[in-house]
Amino acid sequence: MRTSTMRYYGFVLMLICITFSCANVFAQQITIKIIVKDNAEQLLPNVSLAINDKKLKSDTAGAVVQLLSAGKIAIAATVVNHYNFLQSFTLTTDTTLQIVLQQRQSLLNTVVVRSSRNVSANQMGVQTISAEVLRKLPVIFGEVDPLKTITLLPGIKNGGEGGGGVYVRGGGPDQNLILLDGVNVYNPNHLLGFFSVFNGDAIKSIEVLKSGFPAEYGGRLSSVININSRDGDMEKIKTNASIGLISTKLGIEGPIIKNKASFIVNARRTYIDQVAKPFAKERIGGNGYFFYDVNARASYIIDKKNRLNFNFFNGVDEFTFSNDDGAGRTFNTNWGNTIAALQWEQKINSKLSHTTGVVYNRFKLDSRFGFSTLQFLFTSGLKDWQFKSDWNFKKYDWLKLKWGVQYINHTFKPGAGGVTAGVTNFETILQNKYAHELAGYLSADVDLLPELNLIAGVRYSYFNQVGPTEEVIYDGEGFPTGDKVKYTRGQSLAKYQNPEPRLSLRWKLNETGSIKLSYANTIQYLQLATTSNASFPSDLWLPASKRIQPGKANQISAGYFRNFKSNMYEFSAEVYYKSLSNQLEFKPGANLLLNANLENEMIFGNGKAYGLELFLNKKLGKLTGWIGYTLSRSERKFDAINGGKAFPYRYDRTHDLSIVANYPLSKKWEASAVFVYGTGNALTLPVGRFTYNLSYNTTENQPIFTNINLYDKINDFRMPAYHRLDISFAYTRRPITTRRYKSSWNFGIYNVYNRTNPFFIYLSADEGTQKVVGKKVYLFPIVPSVTWNVKF
Amino acid sequence: MCEKMKKVLTIACCVFLLSCEKDFDIEVGTTEQKLVVEAYISNQSPLYTYVVLSKSVDYFNPIFQSIPVKNAQVSITEGNVIANNIVWNAASKRVLSEVSSPLLPSVFANGLYIDPLAVINPSQALVGKVGKYYRLDVLYENNAYTGITNMPDTVRLDSVTYGFPFVNSDNENKCRITNHYKDPDTLGNTYFYYWRNVENKNRFGWAGLFKSRAPGRDDSNNGEYIRITHPQGINYNDTITYMLTSVNRNTHNFWDSYLDARNNNSPFSTPVLLQNYISGKNVVGCFMGLSVSEKTIITKP
Repeated sequence: MRTSTMRYYGFVLMLICITFSCANVFAQQITIKIIVKDNAEQLLPNVSLAINDKKLKSDTAGAVVQLLSAGKIAIAATVVNHYNFLQSFTLTTDTTLQIVLQQRQSLLNTVVVRSSRNVSANQMGVQTISAEVLRKLPVIFGEVDPLKTITLLPGIKNGGEGGGGVYVRGGGPDQNLILLDGVNVYNPNHLLGFFSVFNGDAIKSIEVLKSGFPAEYGGRLSSVININSRDGDMEKIKTNASIGLISTKLGIEGPIIKNKASFIVNARRTYIDQVAKPFAKERIGGNGYFFYDVNARASYIIDKKNRLNFNFFNGVDEFTFSNDDGAGRTFNTNWGNTIAALQWEQKINSKLSHTTGVVYNRFKLDSRFGFSTLQFLFTSGLKDWQFKSDWNFKKYDWLKLKWGVQYINHTFKPGAGGVTAGVTNFETILQNKYAHELAGYLSADVDLLPELNLIAGVRYSYFNQVGPTEEVIYDGEGFPTGDKVKYTRGQSLAKYQNPEPRLSLRWKLNETGSIKLSYANTIQYLQLATTSNASFPSDLWLPASKRIQPGKANQISAGYFRNFKSNMYEFSAEVYYKSLSNQLEFKPGANLLLNANLENEMIFGNGKAYGLELFLNKKLGKLTGWIGYTLSRSERKFDAINGGKAFPYRYDRTHDLSIVANYPLSKKWEASAVFVYGTGNALTLPVGRFTYNLSYNTTENQPIFTNINLYDKINDFRMPAYHRLDISFAYTRRPITTRRYKSSWNFGIYNVYNRTNPFFIYLSADEGTQKVVGKKVYLFPIVPSVTWNVKF
Repeated sequence: MCEKMKKVLTIACCVFLLSCEKDFDIEVGTTEQKLVVEAYISNQSPLYTYVVLSKSVDYFNPIFQSIPVKNAQVSITEGNVIANNIVWNAASKRVLSEVSSPLLPSVFANGLYIDPLAVINPSQALVGKVGKYYRLDVLYENNAYTGITNMPDTVRLDSVTYGFPFVNSDNENKCRITNHYKDPDTLGNTYFYYWRNVENKNRFGWAGLFKSRAPGRDDSNNGEYIRITHPQGINYNDTITYMLTSVNRNTHNFWDSYLDARNNNSPFSTPVLLQNYISGKNVVGCFMGLSVSEKTIITKP
């Protein structure tokens, strides 16, 4: 297979150009600069290079510069998932050599779990998916979605049909550190969670860490989701576009200064509102919904040791509703993230490097609710200024050190509202909250023995909620006492500091097998206030305070890792146990909007999660793909719920199975399929009912009342099992072409056998027929999709 | 755009915009029967101080009507706060019974407990007094149940006005009413807004009145002058009796939970239990004190 593939792509392989400069040919030492890219023209960092016998690694800009003597040299370049490069030539003058490493086609169609990493890397619970895989897997409406795709991996679950959250090893959706190029994204979803904010065209890869978190990561309890965006092309302007059922994407990239600075901009907008209007004008009326997002990145290679990156992201959802029925109901809301980050990467010498940056990060919600003369304005949000500096030092081959500092200045806007129309007149302004979050870390990666690698680190985090603010004092039952305490600017309301030890061990049994252990202690100072499983714009991020203790988690995991048949197959089996404390829930029926005493609506408890994850990944051959299976349990325990007894977490999923397959049917056609199965979500259903709010219509001699449900145990019922098969076909008209213009089609069918997986279920008591029936509401029956992609 | 493309897009939009629903077989457990208490005391007519007792049923029980609890022993006792303790005045105890209210057909007397004097001698009947505390005692099937409430200070309703004319979807001319009052400087006031008009004049009970609870409590707008225009459409030439009703926090919270609990089928929320402010075994409900400040207007065109 490999030989044929090599031949198939042989003409594109490797050497693009060798340019000779007019340097002094008589010099004894000649400079050779090597720039390594992949066939997508992305610069490749960390490529192993051998120039004659000297071993080197490419830097973050994919470059290496060396002084050599004139004469014949041999250069070899290797990096996982790419074909090796080997070239000999005679070096006579200063030379810039561009190496293009062809990605292995067979690996483009599967998870890029680096073959060597599965066994040799001392990092457990890590999964990486490349952009190519993301684009080929079947997804609903053909909308490539990295957050949805990672839920096909073991230990990572979605919230069920239409659910937007990502649940990693029993953790909550707010317990994932979702990083876009290293910057935290507070609201990762569009459209109540149906789609994530990450545009598949702008993404290079996505990596998920489920355990053994390196010390540089903190602030969330359950996972790190790293989304890396693409660099712009350094040589020529390129444009790409795709037109799908609900959105259009447009991207442009190219050099600002050739081979020195580049830019890339990708934008997406949905147009379901615009498309639907001509066909259902009356029904849609003044209502509408759309979202858009813009990803931009600019990179500037200052010199061989310094590089600047600027990232910008803006994603907005806009929803409008109006009903001209005389009651004057209106609802208008927009919400979204804005992120701007400037990073400086510097390689001080071959051993020491750092990445230092500043970040502006904002989530903002602006809602106007109207009902007749009542017009509510509700705004809320969160604004961060962040500084971070991460350092790497490789003293010896067997010892690597990492350290750094991260600081975030938080401003929380828990909500402000008013009533502005008619003569109705009152205002509600909730005070902003302010906090400082600071962390420093140190980590050592040590090869203690040839078989034994240890990564030991500690993160020390500090959180301080500060004034200015005026704190209203409430009594034990949540009633305001009338007393207030004023805090001046910078005065501490509540502060916490915690060491967070991290430890990972890898024992290599042989070249094809290893055992790994890890322990991670994590602290979370910000928690998301929500009562729903959908991602609503009213969700609020709240800081740790006097009453809200920071969430804490301890996770221990162990695994066996094995590769078979010359790394054609990778297998891993991991077990984990995670304890969670200071978990926040809201009292049932809690009022979250414009509530000055929101903390009184909260209850606190603990949780635990444990499970077994099996993962078999076939990386090579015509048929590629993986099977992931998770057997797990996740529980919560709150004194104020369920009589103080532990109950299943809503997203507890005993069995979770994903099968992903990809198969090239011909040179032009490629097929992919995804099958998922999962135990139904846990939920609470009524066991009884009674009448309340009784009155009598004396004219009609009829009592009037409302039926109210009675509940017993929490989450004691299971929704029907969730399963679904999706398929997709990718068609590329000219898979091998030197033309600038390239196009391809993706045809997909979501839910092939039309399984009615419930979005939610409820019980309906029909007083007329005196019958009680279960009702399940499902969102997506069989859904075909088509997307046209074009590049020029 | 060709017709074919239009069809494809229409189907796509429908798929996107519509969800579907299916019935399915389901079995849920059973639960112990609960006593349900809905009790009011007010400074209004003594017939509007009453207690409704009923029972819960299993969810799949075919009975959908209220199941009245008959022959319970029900009484209300007045109390005062002395040195931070409530002292109950045993002499003030009034026994409530299932007598027919003149406002109701006799068939509805089952499970509805009122002071008998409210029928035969209303001037001597039990009426809530502002500033006092009240204790509800229920004895039923040898189980005792107790609820405590108070009558908060009334907040003076300055005026009720009307305006904001509009034509509703049935082509009827309507207007809206606005209340005007100043929230006292004391933090922690909570309100309900009731009114009686032509549409509910033949209904008995607090539940039969129109009501609105926004903003409900003054945590965030303490001491402000409040004007609230209710969105409900009101006929012209209607007589509106508007009741600015002060309640205590427990009563407010109970009704908050009621409003959530009656919408328990939402997919986006965890089930809400109706809060309980009655002590005793297997009971749910609240004893509510309503201090009413009232104005009447006629909505002349």
